[in-house]
Amino acid sequence: MADQELTDRVRELINENQVLLFMKGTPSAPRCGFSMRTVQVLDQMGVEYGAIDVLPALQPLREVTSEISDWETFPQLYVNGELLGGCDIIEEMFENGELAETLGVEQPAEAEPAAAEAPAGEAPYQSPPMKIEGT
Amino acid sequence: MAADLIELKGMIETALPGSTAEVIDETGTGDHLRAEVSAPQFEGKSRIDQHRLVKAAVRERFDDGTIHALTVKVLD
Repeated sequence: MADQELTDRVRELINENQVLLFMKGTPSAPRCGFSMRTVQVLDQMGVEYGAIDVLPALQPLREVTSEISDWETFPQLYVNGELLGGCDIIEEMFENGELAETLGVEQPAEAEPAAAEAPAGEAPYQSPPMKIEGT
Repeated sequence: MAADLIELKGMIETALPGSTAEVIDETGTGDHLRAEVSAPQFEGKSRIDQHRLVKAAVRERFDDGTIHALTVKVLD
């Protein structure tokens, strides 16, 4: 049974942030390859997103996301209050253009198969990492 | 304990009647697996729900620690 206070806090964050990533580490210092790959995809999309480092409270957060989303592994990307997927789903949706559609943005040029050279990327928009303290 | 790939394939195909599944050992260590699944139950579902169906089919092997990671590839 997941901690009720933490569950409420997570639900609040999911509802308050249109795009929210639960990850291991932070966007500037990911601590897991899958989290890093998800950040790289999001940064290419040019959307603002919130990021939460799950490592300080890994097990309690697993229990919470298991309960609210039936998903225990991280990263997890939430869009408009719904779990969209982990790294493999996000990468697949990025490649086939579904992610851009879901986020309501243009598919970045780098994702086009014909793109010769990636243009100098803009600095990613990104809110400062939020913290959930371990319980 | 290494996962039994044939058993997992059977678990998925039983849970999702009419599906075909291939389970591959990606690392050779028997605990990081990849399942390529095509199933009529996927029709009209989001990716996350498709993955949930596959993971639910083999949940028992996650719970007993046989599998640590399962990558799901949905074949349309």
